[in-house]
Amino acid sequence: MSDRLKYIWPPVLIGVLFIAAWQALVVVQEIKPYLLPAPSLIAENFFGDIDLMWNAALYTGTTAFLGLVFGTIAGIVMAFLAQRFIVVDHLVMPLAAGLAAVPIIALTPILNNMFAITSRTPRVLVTAIIVFFPILVNVTRGLVQVQPVQLELMRSFNANPRTVLRTLRVPNAIPFFFTGLKIAAPLAVIAALVAEYFGGPQEGLGSRIASAASNTAYGRAWAYVVAAILTGLLFYLVTLALERIATPWADRSRSS
Amino acid sequence: MSGAAHHAVQAQGVWKIFNEGQAGEVTALQDVTLSVEDGEFVSLIGPSGCGKSTLLRVIADLTSATRGQMTVAGVTPHEARQKQLYGMAFQQAALFEWRTVRRNVELPLELMGWAKDRRRTRAMELLEMVQLADFADHRPWQLSGGMQQRVAIARSLAVDPPLLLMDEPFGALDEMTRERMQNELLRIRRETGKSIIFVTHSIPEAVYLSDRVVVMSPRPGRITEIVPIPLGDSRDEATRESEDFFHGVTAVREALRGHVGGAEARARVGEV
Repeated sequence: MSDRLKYIWPPVLIGVLFIAAWQALVVVQEIKPYLLPAPSLIAENFFGDIDLMWNAALYTGTTAFLGLVFGTIAGIVMAFLAQRFIVVDHLVMPLAAGLAAVPIIALTPILNNMFAITSRTPRVLVTAIIVFFPILVNVTRGLVQVQPVQLELMRSFNANPRTVLRTLRVPNAIPFFFTGLKIAAPLAVIAALVAEYFGGPQEGLGSRIASAASNTAYGRAWAYVVAAILTGLLFYLVTLALERIATPWADRSRSS
Repeated sequence: MSGAAHHAVQAQGVWKIFNEGQAGEVTALQDVTLSVEDGEFVSLIGPSGCGKSTLLRVIADLTSATRGQMTVAGVTPHEARQKQLYGMAFQQAALFEWRTVRRNVELPLELMGWAKDRRRTRAMELLEMVQLADFADHRPWQLSGGMQQRVAIARSLAVDPPLLLMDEPFGALDEMTRERMQNELLRIRRETGKSIIFVTHSIPEAVYLSDRVVVMSPRPGRITEIVPIPLGDSRDEATRESEDFFHGVTAVREALRGHVGGAEARARVGEV
């Protein structure tokens, strides 16, 4: 435990010092809130409107979660198909790389028109598409990149491809899956939030940040930004915890 | 029983040609004829590209011979693999890192559909044999290279096959560990009576372990000499210091060089 504390306190200290310096800078230099509000003002707004913060985070978090679930499922299914049909693998990887370069978030207005703009659907869809690629790429890698000697061993055991998949490829892919999920989870929150900037229901963090900023309520806008950061962090930490539970054998890389 | 049943492996005029008839044609094995008796320890030695690993892989049905006859425990390599008549160990331990040590040893039994309790008992028995019972619930990465290799050997013995195929299993270990592992392997062999085919490029290792050393040479891969090592069944650390051992080493070394004195040195080994 003391070991863990040793790793935790330096970033915490730096964070505290950073906020203190920020506060001092704003007070001493008398910086206007529209340029940079003081941490105290942000905190005041955050805790003063904690219910609003919670509701907005809940809305955006739900969008992100749904997108994450659907995108992950689709990514995993596609990864299995990719490793099953090696042709698809060669096809999928460049395709995935190419599509990853497309600013998917820019599709939101189009999806808003395709689906009901008043619903959550287009936002979930955008989030799912963004989540899909890191999951697909990493899981496919995990299924394909097994040690050749382990494949030979399985052959010497007279194992059929389905057994190889179950006992070798799938367990091998689990750490890769979590690598993808650790990228995808915070990304899902960002996607869900930014998707709100293109109209539709106004309950989420993205909508709130935009409307607070346009109403010159800078402290409140920043308070929502803090809520967004906390939501993203929560997604990441939950993923990290799941990873630890699901891959106990990987303790080596984490402890060193 | 037919005569073939007394042989762990019989190879008759076996050829392995990669890319036959194409630009990159390579003769990995040329006309290999070899019999390995039941319970015999035979090493395959030779420089890189001599086909020693290829020969082992043909025996294991990891690849097929281009021409020639091959039987493993009296059946084709393919049948031998299907019936799990051999166990295999590689230079890399190739343990599954998500499984505990015990469950790694259980793997081949699991694939053969053994019940959980039986599997577990058998795995513990084998871990006792390789003196790693205390590490049954450890993860592979918590073990040293030598210990990992012992787990791999235990795993290769899991289904109690009559034949062990070992492809440079101690090649990645330091010298001290390596010698300890050689003693372990000889002890296991005494306890189990397995036939063992052992690929190595260490002359002392081949001599110390084997009843016969099969010397191979490259381009094309073929057997050039078969050197008998009459050191008996009770070999220990003192054997490594003995004159007979040095004679064996000399005989294999000269056979590897294709030396004309090779026959003479072998005759000396035969005398003593």
